[in-house]
Amino acid sequence: MRFGHKYAFLLPGLLVLIAILIFPILFTVRLSLSGWNSYNPNLDFVGIKNYIRLFTSDARFWEAFFRLSFFSFTTVFLQYVLGFGLALLVWKDILFKRFFRVLFLIPMMTTPVIMTVIWKTVFHESLGPVNDLLSYVGVSYNWLSDPVVSKFTVIIVEVWQWTPFMFLLLLAGLLSLPKEAFLAASIDGAGPIRKFIYVTFPLMAPISIGAIIIRLIEASKIMDTIYVLTSGGPGTSTETTSFYIFIKGLREFQFGYAAAMSFTYLIIMIISLTVIVNVLVRVFNGRNS
Amino acid sequence: MRSFYTTLKYLAVTLWTIFVIGPFLWALSTSFKDFNSVTSGAKYIPWAQFEPTLDGWRVLTKTSAQGGVDIIEPFFNSLTVTGLASLISIVLGTLAAYALSRYQFKFGFVKNNDITFFFISQRIMPPVVLALPFFILLSNFGLLDSILGLIIVYIVLLMPIAVWIMVDFFNKVPREIDETALVDGCNPFEAFFQVVLPNSIPGLVVAGMFCLIFGWTDFFFSFFLTFTEVQLLPVRIVALNSSITPWWSLSAAALVSVAPLLLVAFIVERFLSKGNLSGALK
Amino acid sequence: MLVTNNLSLKVGDENHLVDISVEFKRGGLYTILGRTLAGKTTLLKSIAGLITPDSGNITLDGEDYSSQPVWHRNVAMVYQQFINYPHLTVHDNIAFPLKKQRLPKAEIEQRVSTAIGQVGLKGFESRKIQELSGGQQQRVALARSLAKASEILLLDEPLVNLDYKLREQLREELKGLITQEFNAQGIVIYSSTDPLEAMQLGGELIVMDEGRVLQQGSAKYVFEHPATTRVAEITNDPSMNLWQARKVTKRLAIDDGIDLTVPKHLSKLEQGACTVGFRANDVTIDQAGLNFEVELSEVSGSETILHLVRDQTRMIARVEGVLDVGIGDRLPVSIAEAKLYAFSSDGNLLTSPYAEKS
Repeated sequence: MRFGHKYAFLLPGLLVLIAILIFPILFTVRLSLSGWNSYNPNLDFVGIKNYIRLFTSDARFWEAFFRLSFFSFTTVFLQYVLGFGLALLVWKDILFKRFFRVLFLIPMMTTPVIMTVIWKTVFHESLGPVNDLLSYVGVSYNWLSDPVVSKFTVIIVEVWQWTPFMFLLLLAGLLSLPKEAFLAASIDGAGPIRKFIYVTFPLMAPISIGAIIIRLIEASKIMDTIYVLTSGGPGTSTETTSFYIFIKGLREFQFGYAAAMSFTYLIIMIISLTVIVNVLVRVFNGRNS
Repeated sequence: MRSFYTTLKYLAVTLWTIFVIGPFLWALSTSFKDFNSVTSGAKYIPWAQFEPTLDGWRVLTKTSAQGGVDIIEPFFNSLTVTGLASLISIVLGTLAAYALSRYQFKFGFVKNNDITFFFISQRIMPPVVLALPFFILLSNFGLLDSILGLIIVYIVLLMPIAVWIMVDFFNKVPREIDETALVDGCNPFEAFFQVVLPNSIPGLVVAGMFCLIFGWTDFFFSFFLTFTEVQLLPVRIVALNSSITPWWSLSAAALVSVAPLLLVAFIVERFLSKGNLSGALK
Repeated sequence: MLVTNNLSLKVGDENHLVDISVEFKRGGLYTILGRTLAGKTTLLKSIAGLITPDSGNITLDGEDYSSQPVWHRNVAMVYQQFINYPHLTVHDNIAFPLKKQRLPKAEIEQRVSTAIGQVGLKGFESRKIQELSGGQQQRVALARSLAKASEILLLDEPLVNLDYKLREQLREELKGLITQEFNAQGIVIYSSTDPLEAMQLGGELIVMDEGRVLQQGSAKYVFEHPATTRVAEITNDPSMNLWQARKVTKRLAIDDGIDLTVPKHLSKLEQGACTVGFRANDVTIDQAGLNFEVELSEVSGSETILHLVRDQTRMIARVEGVLDVGIGDRLPVSIAEAKLYAFSSDGNLLTSPYAEKS
């Protein structure tokens, strides 16, 4: 069909998005080549000075980046395993199936920062219920002020918040699987575990890849939870890239340097996500054959 | 063996249920406490362990000047921004998704898949990367700390979701339906609005819900780009948290803020169980 | 008269249409016969305006038709998938194109109720499409096309997705509807993969393959005089048996010890290499015949279709009755020599068993 109408459908959305985005992106690049900070609020030109500083003398940025990778992979892995498990549990014969499905979806409908405010009271070291209940078995942890334990606190909250998203995508996938495959497996006398390994899991490979990638993308932006829960602390023990850029840019107003970090961060994200997508596709398809 | 499996299954479901509703129950309990019952260690059951009061809930409607937490205005700000941004994103995103699903585009080496990827890839963009230039951009236009400024930014956040869900959905609506409408005398716009759209309600509902969820729960942008004039709900609650607001009113405010979207869980489940969601989510 | 002039369309490396020039007269019924992916649907969609060919044009009564957008062409189309508007009732589905034409309400009602009567869906007016069976859904699509009373009616394998019995029944009705009830000045173009269906519909036959028109003529003529071996294959189901042969005086020598007497109508055939063809029906079981081995046997209705082989030479036979034979059985068969076709070695028809004027 050769009507010009197709542009009338596409262009409003496309142009609005480009119009909103084009300036910020170009401006970030330009800003990253300037020394703009609170003492020198000018769009001057300092070449790649900011980038040199970032790559040669800012260990904190790279530590934050590795911490981000750790958080992303750990939480997404846990969310995938738990989400898949929960989806399998309420997939078929179970009492109050629909009730549990609604219930398991609830955390993703809540605002992360607001729930984190509640979590902060839950993990409160002297007045919260977690340490109170743990005291019956004689232990207690400094959930928010210990540099190691606080990492796990962040992971627990992230898992609570976003496992439902995995659960939703995987359950939707399970419910759309063709019945014939399972019928054939039943006739062959396969038990539930063999059925899962040879039928369910391979059939779920495409949707698994999709769900993991979506969650990795979202997890790579992790910041609200950390901001409220620990503010990156204690020290910098839970600080992630976004949070560090935020501090440099919008707290210390080192706009030029923050822009250089932003741009580097964006490029790293695009490259690593591309690599991860390819690896995931290979891993899941390997299982298939 | 079989009953062992069943026991294990219900045990797992019960444990996860406790994990899911635990924080809500704790917040609910806390919202009826007062200074003494909070500071004397963790208490759970009202009447039995502490004397409940309604103080936490009473302050919700009061302004800060009256010693309240003032979440009414932020509530409606959130509603306006999320609602309008979702609406605009759905309208523009659905139109674009339809074009990408039905027509072939070629701008140089850029083809349909690349355009679709461009839309969806905006989700990869870390908010902090955009926040910096938006901060300067919006302040240049005097839109910092305004509803309009937030709506513009939220469109970037939500349109990718609308495009992602609707391209997938339209790809599953047989194109012969549009063709039949064209043959029957509809121009492409009539074919879209009178035939394709009425048959796309499940997709639109799913896309709408996702936009609402991601809009309503966002914190970043409103946090970066607003100060005092236009506070959205999450920013307000976090602000309460960092001031010396007592736990009971904080808990009550938090519960009120997350309540509206809990309804969405029921709608999502309905679509899920009717099998409409698998079509819309791939 | 609707004329397509040199329509060509190439998508990637595949030819969907190659130089298609066909005339469709008003009041005529045309059947496009071809295997899957022969370009039938592409041709129909080009006529409807849903596909724009790379080159060539279409005229209607001498006026340019190609530049008209779909929605201005007075066309109706029925797809092989049962395509209706799922959000509308049966009544509103049929009324939809009429409302687009802005007809007066009374006329719309009258036409809708006539069309519903014609396709036998009285009493189903307020049903939703999903509540109907496949056959009923296709009837709605048909009723919508009939009610529209367009100049051109395109039917793209409308019966192929129905089960056998329903297909037979609906085909009879369909033939009546499109020959009697449809606009007498209208053009009906029907595409099919089934030679039997094409024969039953009658009308003008257009044989397509790989985007080309191979032959055009009355159904009976094309059936009796397939222009090439490819047409002979497409217009017969099972496909026509084709053997390489050598005419040596009064004999037709074929490999593997098969040897046929030259029938009278082939007496003028030149000596030497040729291709002979015969239909599956023209094979009979005959104790005096040659032995063939059964490779496959399938029962279809009251007939048995046999895939036979003798060394390297294969053929398909269709015999009356349900035959109880197993794979590997030997069966003596003979070929009706009076029904032999002769093609040149490059595949063009030389002699048909039927007289030229038929």
